[in-house]
Amino acid sequence: MGIIDLNGLEVRLANRVVLNGLTGELQGNAIGLLGPNGAGKSTLINTLLGFHLPFAGTARVFGLDSHRDRAEIRGKIGYMPENDSFIGNMSGVRFVRYMAELAGLPSEVALERAHEALFYVGLGEVRYRKVNTYSLGMKQLVKLAQALAHGPRLLILDEPTNGLDPVARQRMIQLIKDIRKEGSIRLLISSHLLRDIDETCDEVLILKGGRIAALCNIEAERRSNRSFVELETVGATERFSVSIRGLGCEVATFPGGRIKLVIPDNIEARDLYVIASEQGVQIRRMNQRRDSLEDIFLRAMDNQMEGVGHGRL
Amino acid sequence: MAVYKRNYTAYTGQVTSPSARVLVLARYAFAEAWSSKITVGLFIFCLVPCLISLFGIYLANNPMARALVGAGGSQMIAVDARFFLKILQGQCWLALFLASWIAPRLISFDLSDNALPILLSHPISRVGYLTGKFIALFTCLSAVTWVPCLLLFVYQGYTSPQPWMAANLRIAAGLLAGTVIWITLLSFLGLALSSWVKWRAVATGIIFAAVFVPAGVGAIVSAVLRTKWGYLLNLPLTMETLWRRLLGVQYEMNPMLSLPTGAIVASLVFICIVCLGMLDKRIRAREVVRG
Repeated sequence: MGIIDLNGLEVRLANRVVLNGLTGELQGNAIGLLGPNGAGKSTLINTLLGFHLPFAGTARVFGLDSHRDRAEIRGKIGYMPENDSFIGNMSGVRFVRYMAELAGLPSEVALERAHEALFYVGLGEVRYRKVNTYSLGMKQLVKLAQALAHGPRLLILDEPTNGLDPVARQRMIQLIKDIRKEGSIRLLISSHLLRDIDETCDEVLILKGGRIAALCNIEAERRSNRSFVELETVGATERFSVSIRGLGCEVATFPGGRIKLVIPDNIEARDLYVIASEQGVQIRRMNQRRDSLEDIFLRAMDNQMEGVGHGRL
Repeated sequence: MAVYKRNYTAYTGQVTSPSARVLVLARYAFAEAWSSKITVGLFIFCLVPCLISLFGIYLANNPMARALVGAGGSQMIAVDARFFLKILQGQCWLALFLASWIAPRLISFDLSDNALPILLSHPISRVGYLTGKFIALFTCLSAVTWVPCLLLFVYQGYTSPQPWMAANLRIAAGLLAGTVIWITLLSFLGLALSSWVKWRAVATGIIFAAVFVPAGVGAIVSAVLRTKWGYLLNLPLTMETLWRRLLGVQYEMNPMLSLPTGAIVASLVFICIVCLGMLDKRIRAREVVRG
């Protein structure tokens, strides 16, 4: 059983199908939720929180039904919404304490953990200031602090780097990495920024048009995809191509000594240099690249266009 | 997660019961209401008539005090159902001022800062959220309505030379029922209207308007259609009638204005249902965009 199980989940808002038959099992420590605007990322999060009643199918969080057991689920979740959402005329520490008490912490414990959470996210020095005097970055951090204060098992972050400058963004990413490294908390991070997901997540769910375009383990996906190498060579290019084809590489040669090849996992760049040396070929430039999350995302978008409804890549 | 360590650790201690979280909401709402000096000022102002009434009861039951103020042995004030009706009316209308100031503070801040998604993402339902706010407002209004009214009743029973309390228990029941009906209505009305208006000052005005404007509309309806049922929209009139009947005060009323108790109660229940409908539409974690 995964952290989140989706079984034919269909959600309609105002008679419009927003999520269409999502099926999958999310089990990573940090799950990225990717998709273009309007793909249904926020609707999926709201459904997991029990804000929307599924029209068909089910969504389960820790094995609990997202609608029937929503109170129990919410007790295990920390949620950082995308948009501004706070009580502006409260001080930071009072706001976080209030949220922790609502999550079920006794009053004194909630106060203690509110202080700790605010220090943890870097707002310790401004915790007695009213939240509506905070900058945008600070407001993002106070939302993260309230999501953390009660010690949830799953932290849902909806666009956590939204509107942050590069320094604040880096700080937020580092915090997310720290939380992930600590290990007691699972993360579900929704973003339309591939880089954020790439840096923080080990699994990704890509949505498009309310359907699952891809659900995969990022690292495994990268490993399973082939490595592309571009070479610029001087010398007996044709003979060199034949030799490296003999290693099991797929090779294409181009005028000017340019070679493009796909190398299998058991072959390394060093092997190419050895053959080149034996045959007196100079390798002037080597450009090696593996699949980035962007490749995975773009491929998922293409696959979805071709009618792949759901499932793993 | 000790402060000096600045590291995250999960919470593994006990959690409170779901009902206790409703009280958390009520406690914070109560604190929010009383964080304003205007609330304190209004509260004191609302209790002034009670202090005057207290003095009146003291004088009515103490010949020596009457002599001291120059009233001799005459009975200055008759402490009866009419006396308590006047106190009830005064306190209930003062409670409207307090409700129109406090209710917007309880809801508007949450709405203007879009706090509902965060609040409702915690293990608290929309009903729980509203119950917490309702408890806070109801408690504040209780402090200026049925609590002082019943204290005055008890004081009258204590100071009266004759056995008075047992013979007038209906007054106490009427005071309690009349004030509880009114402040329940005010609480629903205040919360519902505040949830639809983000600006507190406007919400305060609208709460007053909701009480008095339909009265004018009702009078027009009654005059045009030559019916008394239009007066059901006249909240001051319907409550006045209900309070008199609850306290058992005899009075002569224009038959055109005399409404059956059942119809009055039904109209009050209808108002509460409309208010609940308004709250149901507005108190949501997410707005669903139509179309």
